[in-house]
Amino acid sequence: MPDNQQLTTAIMVNETTFSEKNTQTNDIKKLPGDLAMWFFILAELTVFAIFFIGFAIAENLNLVMFSEGKAQLHKVAGLINTIALITSSYFVAISLYSMRVQKERQAVLRLIFALFFAAIYIVLKLWEYDSLFEQGIDIETNTFFTLYFLITAFHFMHILLGMVILAYMAKNAYQGKYNDPESENEFSGFESGACYWHMVDLLWIILFPLIYVI
Amino acid sequence: MIKIWQRYALSWGWLILLTIASVAIGQYFQHATLNSVLFIAIVMLIIALKGQQIIDVFMELKHAPKLWRNIMLAYVIVVPLIITLIYM
Repeated sequence: MPDNQQLTTAIMVNETTFSEKNTQTNDIKKLPGDLAMWFFILAELTVFAIFFIGFAIAENLNLVMFSEGKAQLHKVAGLINTIALITSSYFVAISLYSMRVQKERQAVLRLIFALFFAAIYIVLKLWEYDSLFEQGIDIETNTFFTLYFLITAFHFMHILLGMVILAYMAKNAYQGKYNDPESENEFSGFESGACYWHMVDLLWIILFPLIYVI
Repeated sequence: MIKIWQRYALSWGWLILLTIASVAIGQYFQHATLNSVLFIAIVMLIIALKGQQIIDVFMELKHAPKLWRNIMLAYVIVVPLIITLIYM
Protein backbone atom coordinates (compact mmCIF):
# COMPACT_ATOMS: atom_id res chain seq x y z
CA MET A 1 0.00 0.00 0.00
CA PRO A 2 1.66 3.25 -1.07
CA ASP A 3 2.38 5.68 1.73
CA ASN A 4 1.15 9.24 1.76
CA GLN A 5 4.33 10.62 0.24
CA GLN A 6 4.14 8.20 -2.67
CA LEU A 7 0.47 9.04 -3.23
CA THR A 8 1.17 12.77 -3.13
CA THR A 9 3.99 12.34 -5.62
CA ALA A 10 1.72 10.32 -7.88
CA ILE A 11 -0.95 12.99 -7.77
CA MET A 12 1.59 15.76 -8.47
CA VAL A 13 2.91 13.78 -11.44
CA ASN A 14 -0.67 13.38 -12.70
CA GLU A 15 -1.39 17.09 -12.37
CA THR A 16 0.79 17.96 -15.31
CA THR A 17 0.50 21.06 -17.39
CA PHE A 18 -1.72 20.95 -20.45
CA SER A 19 1.21 20.95 -22.84
CA GLU A 20 2.93 18.09 -21.03
CA LYS A 21 -0.23 16.00 -21.10
CA ASN A 22 -0.65 16.79 -24.76
CA THR A 23 2.88 15.53 -25.45
CA GLN A 24 2.29 12.39 -23.43
CA THR A 25 -0.95 11.51 -25.18
CA ASN A 26 0.12 12.49 -28.68
CA ASP A 27 1.44 9.01 -29.36
CA ILE A 28 -1.59 7.22 -27.95
CA LYS A 29 -4.88 8.60 -29.24
CA LYS A 30 -7.75 7.07 -27.34
CA LEU A 31 -11.48 7.58 -27.76
CA PRO A 32 -12.84 8.34 -24.29
CA GLY A 33 -15.52 5.96 -23.06
CA ASP A 34 -17.08 2.96 -24.76
CA LEU A 35 -17.41 2.66 -28.52
CA ALA A 36 -21.06 1.69 -28.13
CA MET A 37 -21.77 5.00 -26.40
CA TRP A 38 -20.23 6.86 -29.33
CA PHE A 39 -22.47 5.09 -31.83
CA PHE A 40 -25.40 6.03 -29.63
CA ILE A 41 -24.17 9.63 -29.54
CA LEU A 42 -23.91 9.71 -33.33
CA ALA A 43 -27.43 8.30 -33.64
CA GLU A 44 -28.84 11.00 -31.34
CA LEU A 45 -26.94 13.74 -33.14
CA THR A 46 -28.41 12.50 -36.43
CA VAL A 47 -31.98 12.59 -35.12
CA PHE A 48 -31.54 16.11 -33.80
CA ALA A 49 -29.87 17.25 -37.03
CA ILE A 50 -33.05 16.21 -38.85
CA PHE A 51 -35.12 18.13 -36.29
CA PHE A 52 -32.95 21.26 -36.63
CA ILE A 53 -32.95 21.23 -40.41
CA GLY A 54 -36.69 20.53 -40.47
CA PHE A 55 -37.26 23.47 -38.16
CA ALA A 56 -35.22 25.78 -40.40
CA ILE A 57 -37.14 24.67 -43.49
CA ALA A 58 -40.49 25.10 -41.73
CA GLU A 59 -39.47 28.60 -40.61
CA ASN A 60 -38.64 29.61 -44.16
CA LEU A 61 -42.09 28.49 -45.24
CA ASN A 62 -43.80 30.34 -42.38
CA LEU A 63 -41.67 33.38 -41.65
CA VAL A 64 -44.33 35.53 -40.00
CA MET A 65 -45.74 32.71 -37.87
CA PHE A 66 -42.29 31.71 -36.62
CA SER A 67 -41.33 35.32 -35.92
CA GLU A 68 -44.47 35.82 -33.84
CA GLY A 69 -43.98 32.50 -32.11
CA LYS A 70 -40.37 33.24 -31.19
CA ALA A 71 -41.47 36.60 -29.77
CA GLN A 72 -43.58 34.69 -27.26
CA LEU A 73 -40.70 32.57 -26.01
CA HIS A 74 -38.70 33.47 -22.92
CA LYS A 75 -35.28 34.34 -24.27
CA VAL A 76 -33.89 35.11 -20.82
CA ALA A 77 -34.97 31.68 -19.60
CA GLY A 78 -33.29 30.17 -22.64
CA LEU A 79 -30.11 32.12 -21.95
CA ILE A 80 -30.05 31.06 -18.29
CA ASN A 81 -30.61 27.45 -19.39
CA THR A 82 -27.68 27.71 -21.79
CA ILE A 83 -25.40 29.03 -19.07
CA ALA A 84 -26.66 26.35 -16.66
CA LEU A 85 -25.95 23.52 -19.10
CA ILE A 86 -22.51 24.83 -20.05
CA THR A 87 -21.64 25.15 -16.35
CA SER A 88 -22.99 21.68 -15.69
CA SER A 89 -20.81 20.32 -18.50
CA TYR A 90 -17.82 22.12 -17.00
CA PHE A 91 -18.35 20.36 -13.66
CA VAL A 92 -18.71 16.99 -15.39
CA ALA A 93 -15.45 17.61 -17.26
CA ILE A 94 -13.51 18.51 -14.13
CA SER A 95 -15.10 15.61 -12.22
CA LEU A 96 -13.50 13.24 -14.75
CA TYR A 97 -10.20 15.02 -14.16
CA SER A 98 -10.66 14.44 -10.42
CA MET A 99 -11.20 10.74 -11.05
CA ARG A 100 -7.98 10.52 -13.06
CA VAL A 101 -5.96 12.06 -10.22
CA GLN A 102 -7.61 9.65 -7.78
CA LYS A 103 -9.73 12.22 -5.97
CA GLU A 104 -13.01 10.30 -5.97
CA ARG A 105 -14.74 12.37 -3.32
CA GLN A 106 -13.90 15.55 -5.20
CA ALA A 107 -15.28 13.97 -8.36
CA VAL A 108 -18.53 13.14 -6.57
CA LEU A 109 -18.84 16.69 -5.28
CA ARG A 110 -18.30 18.07 -8.77
CA LEU A 111 -20.94 15.73 -10.16
CA ILE A 112 -23.35 17.00 -7.52
CA PHE A 113 -22.67 20.54 -8.73
CA ALA A 114 -23.29 19.36 -12.28
CA LEU A 115 -26.63 17.89 -11.20
CA PHE A 116 -27.50 21.12 -9.42
CA PHE A 117 -27.06 23.17 -12.59
CA ALA A 118 -28.97 20.56 -14.56
CA ALA A 119 -31.79 20.90 -12.04
CA ILE A 120 -31.86 24.65 -12.74
CA TYR A 121 -32.43 23.78 -16.39
CA ILE A 122 -35.26 21.37 -15.49
CA VAL A 123 -37.05 23.85 -13.24
CA LEU A 124 -36.74 26.69 -15.72
CA LYS A 125 -37.88 24.58 -18.66
CA LEU A 126 -40.96 23.38 -16.76
CA TRP A 127 -41.70 26.96 -15.75
CA GLU A 128 -41.40 27.98 -19.39
CA TYR A 129 -43.83 25.27 -20.51
CA ASP A 130 -46.27 26.17 -17.75
CA SER A 131 -46.10 29.83 -18.73
CA LEU A 132 -46.97 28.99 -22.34
CA PHE A 133 -49.79 26.65 -21.30
CA GLU A 134 -51.29 29.41 -19.17
CA GLN A 135 -51.45 31.60 -22.27
CA GLY A 136 -53.38 28.86 -24.02
CA ILE A 137 -50.38 27.86 -26.14
CA ASP A 138 -49.73 24.16 -26.62
CA ILE A 139 -48.38 21.64 -29.14
CA GLU A 140 -51.42 22.08 -31.41
CA THR A 141 -51.37 25.89 -31.54
CA ASN A 142 -49.53 26.13 -34.84
CA THR A 143 -46.57 24.63 -36.74
CA PHE A 144 -44.02 26.71 -34.82
CA PHE A 145 -45.21 25.58 -31.41
CA THR A 146 -45.63 21.98 -32.56
CA LEU A 147 -41.96 21.94 -33.52
CA TYR A 148 -40.96 23.97 -30.46
CA PHE A 149 -42.57 21.53 -28.03
CA LEU A 150 -41.43 18.43 -29.95
CA ILE A 151 -37.79 19.48 -30.16
CA THR A 152 -37.41 20.96 -26.69
CA ALA A 153 -39.36 18.15 -24.99
CA PHE A 154 -37.25 15.54 -26.78
CA HIS A 155 -34.14 17.35 -25.57
CA PHE A 156 -35.67 17.60 -22.10
CA MET A 157 -35.99 13.80 -21.99
CA HIS A 158 -32.32 13.50 -22.85
CA ILE A 159 -31.49 15.83 -19.98
CA LEU A 160 -33.48 13.64 -17.59
CA LEU A 161 -31.68 10.51 -18.79
CA GLY A 162 -28.37 12.36 -18.50
CA MET A 163 -29.12 13.29 -14.90
CA VAL A 164 -29.84 9.64 -14.08
CA ILE A 165 -26.50 8.71 -15.66
CA LEU A 166 -24.63 11.41 -13.72
CA ALA A 167 -26.24 10.26 -10.45
CA TYR A 168 -25.25 6.68 -11.24
CA MET A 169 -21.67 7.81 -11.95
CA ALA A 170 -21.60 9.69 -8.64
CA LYS A 171 -22.85 6.63 -6.76
CA ASN A 172 -20.23 4.39 -8.34
CA ALA A 173 -17.45 6.91 -7.73
CA TYR A 174 -18.51 7.26 -4.08
CA GLN A 175 -18.41 3.46 -3.72
CA GLY A 176 -14.96 3.31 -5.33
CA LYS A 177 -16.09 1.23 -8.27
CA TYR A 178 -13.83 3.03 -10.72
CA ASN A 179 -10.55 2.19 -9.02
CA ASP A 180 -9.60 -1.10 -10.61
CA PRO A 181 -6.12 -0.31 -11.98
CA GLU A 182 -5.92 -3.76 -13.60
CA SER A 183 -8.76 -3.08 -16.02
CA GLU A 184 -7.84 -1.78 -19.46
CA ASN A 185 -9.72 1.45 -18.91
CA GLU A 186 -11.03 1.76 -15.39
CA PHE A 187 -12.76 5.05 -16.17
CA SER A 188 -14.50 3.91 -19.35
CA GLY A 189 -17.97 3.98 -17.80
CA PHE A 190 -17.35 7.37 -16.27
CA GLU A 191 -16.02 8.76 -19.55
CA SER A 192 -19.01 7.35 -21.44
CA GLY A 193 -21.47 9.04 -19.10
CA ALA A 194 -19.54 12.29 -19.27
CA CYS A 195 -19.49 12.26 -23.08
CA TYR A 196 -23.23 11.62 -23.18
CA TRP A 197 -23.77 14.67 -21.00
CA HIS A 198 -21.54 16.83 -23.19
CA MET A 199 -23.54 15.65 -26.21
CA VAL A 200 -26.75 16.87 -24.55
CA ASP A 201 -25.09 20.23 -23.91
CA LEU A 202 -23.85 20.32 -27.51
CA LEU A 203 -27.40 19.83 -28.78
CA TRP A 204 -28.71 22.72 -26.70
CA ILE A 205 -25.92 24.91 -28.04
CA ILE A 206 -27.47 24.49 -31.49
CA LEU A 207 -31.10 24.41 -30.33
CA PHE A 208 -31.05 27.64 -28.30
CA PRO A 209 -29.82 30.00 -31.07
CA LEU A 210 -31.94 28.29 -33.70
CA ILE A 211 -35.24 28.44 -31.80
CA TYR A 212 -34.76 31.41 -29.47
CA VAL A 213 -32.24 33.80 -31.04
CA ILE A 214 -32.41 33.94 -34.85
CA MET B 1 1.92 26.60 -19.39
CA ILE B 2 -1.59 26.22 -18.06
CA LYS B 3 -2.80 23.40 -15.84
CA ILE B 4 -5.41 21.02 -17.19
CA TRP B 5 -8.17 22.28 -14.90
CA GLN B 6 -7.44 25.85 -15.98
CA ARG B 7 -7.96 24.76 -19.58
CA TYR B 8 -11.48 23.66 -18.67
CA ALA B 9 -12.17 26.94 -16.87
CA LEU B 10 -10.94 28.98 -19.84
CA SER B 11 -13.18 26.95 -22.10
CA TRP B 12 -16.14 27.61 -19.82
CA GLY B 13 -15.43 31.33 -19.92
CA TRP B 14 -15.13 31.33 -23.70
CA LEU B 15 -18.40 29.41 -24.03
CA ILE B 16 -20.26 31.86 -21.78
CA LEU B 17 -18.80 34.84 -23.64
CA LEU B 18 -19.85 33.43 -27.02
CA THR B 19 -23.33 32.70 -25.67
CA ILE B 20 -23.82 36.25 -24.46
CA ALA B 21 -22.40 37.57 -27.74
CA SER B 22 -24.89 35.61 -29.83
CA VAL B 23 -27.80 36.84 -27.70
CA ALA B 24 -26.53 40.43 -27.89
CA ILE B 25 -26.19 40.17 -31.67
CA GLY B 26 -29.69 38.74 -31.80
CA GLN B 27 -31.06 41.71 -29.87
CA TYR B 28 -29.33 44.12 -32.23
CA PHE B 29 -30.54 42.45 -35.39
CA GLN B 30 -34.07 42.07 -34.06
CA HIS B 31 -34.48 45.79 -34.40
CA ALA B 32 -32.86 45.85 -37.81
CA THR B 33 -34.16 43.40 -40.41
CA LEU B 34 -36.14 40.17 -40.26
CA ASN B 35 -34.02 37.03 -40.85
CA SER B 36 -30.91 38.81 -42.05
CA VAL B 37 -28.69 36.13 -43.58
CA LEU B 38 -25.54 37.79 -42.27
CA PHE B 39 -26.91 37.72 -38.73
CA ILE B 40 -27.84 34.07 -39.07
CA ALA B 41 -24.41 33.22 -40.49
CA ILE B 42 -22.71 34.93 -37.54
CA VAL B 43 -24.86 33.05 -35.03
CA MET B 44 -24.17 29.77 -36.81
CA LEU B 45 -20.44 30.53 -36.76
CA ILE B 46 -20.69 31.08 -33.00
CA ILE B 47 -22.41 27.69 -32.73
CA ALA B 48 -19.46 26.08 -34.53
CA LEU B 49 -16.95 27.81 -32.25
CA LYS B 50 -18.83 26.73 -29.11
CA GLY B 51 -19.20 23.22 -30.46
CA GLN B 52 -15.47 23.00 -31.09
CA GLN B 53 -14.79 23.87 -27.45
CA ILE B 54 -17.14 21.22 -26.16
CA ILE B 55 -15.78 18.60 -28.54
CA ASP B 56 -12.06 19.30 -28.12
CA VAL B 57 -11.93 20.27 -24.45
CA PHE B 58 -14.92 18.86 -22.56
CA MET B 59 -15.22 15.66 -24.59
CA GLU B 60 -11.40 15.53 -24.87
CA LEU B 61 -11.57 14.53 -28.51
CA LYS B 62 -8.51 16.65 -29.22
CA HIS B 63 -6.59 13.64 -27.94
CA ALA B 64 -8.80 11.06 -29.63
CA PRO B 65 -8.36 9.32 -33.00
CA LYS B 66 -8.70 11.88 -35.77
CA LEU B 67 -11.67 10.11 -37.39
CA TRP B 68 -13.93 10.59 -34.37
CA ARG B 69 -12.79 14.14 -33.75
CA ASN B 70 -13.39 15.02 -37.40
CA ILE B 71 -16.85 13.44 -37.37
CA MET B 72 -17.89 15.49 -34.37
CA LEU B 73 -16.35 18.71 -35.66
CA ALA B 74 -18.01 18.13 -39.01
CA TYR B 75 -21.36 17.96 -37.24
CA VAL B 76 -21.03 21.41 -35.65
CA ILE B 77 -19.84 22.85 -38.96
CA VAL B 78 -22.11 21.11 -41.47
CA VAL B 79 -25.41 21.36 -39.57
CA PRO B 80 -25.09 25.14 -38.96
CA LEU B 81 -23.90 25.56 -42.55
CA ILE B 82 -26.97 23.75 -43.88
CA ILE B 83 -29.19 25.91 -41.67
CA THR B 84 -27.50 29.06 -43.01
CA LEU B 85 -28.02 27.92 -46.60
CA ILE B 86 -31.70 27.23 -45.89
CA TYR B 87 -32.16 30.83 -44.79
CA MET B 88 -30.48 32.27 -47.89
